[in-house]
Amino acid sequence: MKRLLVGTVAAIGLAALGACAGGMDGSESGGVARGTIGFSAMTLKNPFFKIIADSLTAEAERHGFDVVVTDAERDVNRQSQQVDNFLASGVVAIVLNPVDRIAIGPAVRRANEAGVPVFTSDLQAVAEGVEIAGHVGTDNYQGGLLAGEAMIEALGEAGGEVLVLHFKQANSCVLRVDGFRHAIGEYNRDRTEGRIEIVAELEGGGLRDEGYRAMADGIQAYPDLAGVFAINDPSALGARTALEQAGRADQVRIVGFDGEIAGREAIRDGKIYADPIQYPDRMGVMTVQNIVSYLDGEDFERVHLIPTELYRQADAEQDPTLD
Amino acid sequence: MPEDVGESAAGRWRRRLLDLLGRNLSVVVLALLCLISSAATWREQNPITSRSGGAVARQVLEACPAPCSVLVVARDTEADMVFARAIEEGLEGSRVRIAGRVFGQPREVRLELERLAGTGASLDAIATHRIASEWGPVRTAGVPVFSPGSYHWPTFLTARNLLNVVNQNADIAIIALGMTLVILTAGIDLSVGSLLALAGVIAAVTAQEWFGGAAASPAGLLAAMLLGVVAAALGGLLSGTMVTAFRVPPFVATLGLMMLARGLALILAVGHQRRLVGGGAEGTPEAVRVDASVFAWLGNGAVLGVPNPIVLMLVLFVAAHLLMTRTMFGRYVYAVGGNVEAARLSGVPVTAVLLAVYCLCGAFAGLAGIVDASRFEGGRPNAGELYELQVIAAVVVGGASLAGGRGRVAGTLIGAMIIAVIQNGLNIAGVASYEQKVVFGALILAAVLLDRLQPKIASRRARMTR
Repeated sequence: MKRLLVGTVAAIGLAALGACAGGMDGSESGGVARGTIGFSAMTLKNPFFKIIADSLTAEAERHGFDVVVTDAERDVNRQSQQVDNFLASGVVAIVLNPVDRIAIGPAVRRANEAGVPVFTSDLQAVAEGVEIAGHVGTDNYQGGLLAGEAMIEALGEAGGEVLVLHFKQANSCVLRVDGFRHAIGEYNRDRTEGRIEIVAELEGGGLRDEGYRAMADGIQAYPDLAGVFAINDPSALGARTALEQAGRADQVRIVGFDGEIAGREAIRDGKIYADPIQYPDRMGVMTVQNIVSYLDGEDFERVHLIPTELYRQADAEQDPTLD
Repeated sequence: MPEDVGESAAGRWRRRLLDLLGRNLSVVVLALLCLISSAATWREQNPITSRSGGAVARQVLEACPAPCSVLVVARDTEADMVFARAIEEGLEGSRVRIAGRVFGQPREVRLELERLAGTGASLDAIATHRIASEWGPVRTAGVPVFSPGSYHWPTFLTARNLLNVVNQNADIAIIALGMTLVILTAGIDLSVGSLLALAGVIAAVTAQEWFGGAAASPAGLLAAMLLGVVAAALGGLLSGTMVTAFRVPPFVATLGLMMLARGLALILAVGHQRRLVGGGAEGTPEAVRVDASVFAWLGNGAVLGVPNPIVLMLVLFVAAHLLMTRTMFGRYVYAVGGNVEAARLSGVPVTAVLLAVYCLCGAFAGLAGIVDASRFEGGRPNAGELYELQVIAAVVVGGASLAGGRGRVAGTLIGAMIIAVIQNGLNIAGVASYEQKVVFGALILAAVLLDRLQPKIASRRARMTR
């Protein structure tokens, strides 16, 4: 009897694995016409990367590829393991949102040695001696400039103190903040009144909860804040929550980044002033097109940066994708 | 055994078998998991070897009755070169002429085909492997394409994948060895992930700033690595002190150290990045790169085809196993975990044992940190996040009791491999990460459930035999 119980417990665990594995097997043995593409996403907890994954999968299937999507969960160790697994299972191409632009180097080098092309999307890898077949991403510096313009517009002639909610681990965010600082610096030049002063950069983790906590602290430390630039929508929405709780939502303007649905809704409702919007769906599609061009031996743009566009309340009111 | 008298021979054998299975349940589970992973990854395999190259050559010879010319296409990798050489050797001295060879990407194939068309040379066939036969220029070249036949075999059971599985989890397994000792004393160590990061960052920063950076000698790099391990061991000593001298519960003491060490790792890394850019802006918490290429050997090199992390893991495993089964210290650890008061009264130096155990656990985490830093050619302040949970899971799945006193080093190694195999099996079977979490959660619950059931089973068995 007891053995039976012990055996049952083990069997349940195994059955769970078998069921999952079995379920997936059918879908992939379907049409391996052009082979499999392996995609390791930065984190599928952020809708932005989920959109890249979904659009990439749809476009790849249209071209006759299978796609395996894995989640690196912002851990470069996990991402390297996923690259190794892709190589072991014989994919025709690998797509990454590099979690750490330097530490991903050895894994990319192993793919290079195995002759499997590596494409990056959104974030670039800069490790030495690695070959990236193609990159599609956002022009983050330009996006940062636009975020700066939006902030100048939001604060008007009064200017004031501005806080940045950063996520320094991602170089894309570093570029955004560089662009933002540049735009604000240009604005402040030759100006004695109504200057915009960036008082601090706090770590918002690019996540809603971390952004919320950082903002809550920021309100305490800088009671005269007039604006916040959050490097993405989740942290902008977290900041909004903190400001509402402190009763300061009317006095502090938020500029976000991304333009994901929750962010655009918040812009429509006046909770976020504006976003430079990115096009993750285009990133997925263009990355697949690059893979096709690569395999067909055609020339293509090795680094393609998609410019962002500013999205304000007026745009949200006419946005057909918002209900 | 009086109750055996009336039992049939078959019944006795069944009971013995069940007994054996029960005692080695984790091994059985591991074997079953390997079977399932193999079944789930039963795929077409496309060999790129010297043998498959020879097979392609024979195909071409068969298909070419009259003199003809063939283009050999392969990628710019070692395996492809061997494959292509085998094709050419197979065709040497025959009626088949090699019109050209491409070692590169699809683009180079297109250019070569254009060049051949430009010279007006005739091309009758392309010899290549399955992967390149799908390339656009090859498919549209308008000549027959010869590639080796494929066969079916579980992707899980390929040498490359099996080495991957163990290699990827060698660091978890190494830390789990140390964690086993801590858990045997009824303690827990939550700081291992952070100590791993701290050790890696210290090794990387000192290698770069004290031992010469790109020009660092192997001895200097070894010293840098040693510094990292010592720092992690000192961290362990600190939690050991908190636990013994101040009676702080291990959970709390190591939770504090976990945050402390993570913070230190981030501060050191950011400080280093700031010095790199000249001190102006604040640095970013990226990996601290080590320029000396020898540094990468420990994590990426191999001995006789076996990756170094695996070798290190096995050496440490044997050492830990001997320590726990053949020495006085090992017996002390079990005694402390079984019953602290009884151990103290019978003269076991409880404080010293606990200090040593936490110190060792820290050192093992430090070693894993060095492996990590070497693997990524730099110290990562964000390395090892949530490792403590994976490591504890490995130890628990390996059969150690969180209540202390029960568990084996060998069990932990198997536990780590069970988790590794599930992860790998799910990954290469293409199971999405959300579902993987459910499987892992269920696995850990099942393992703990087993842990709870086992004493009951044992006591009932004892009652039955009485």
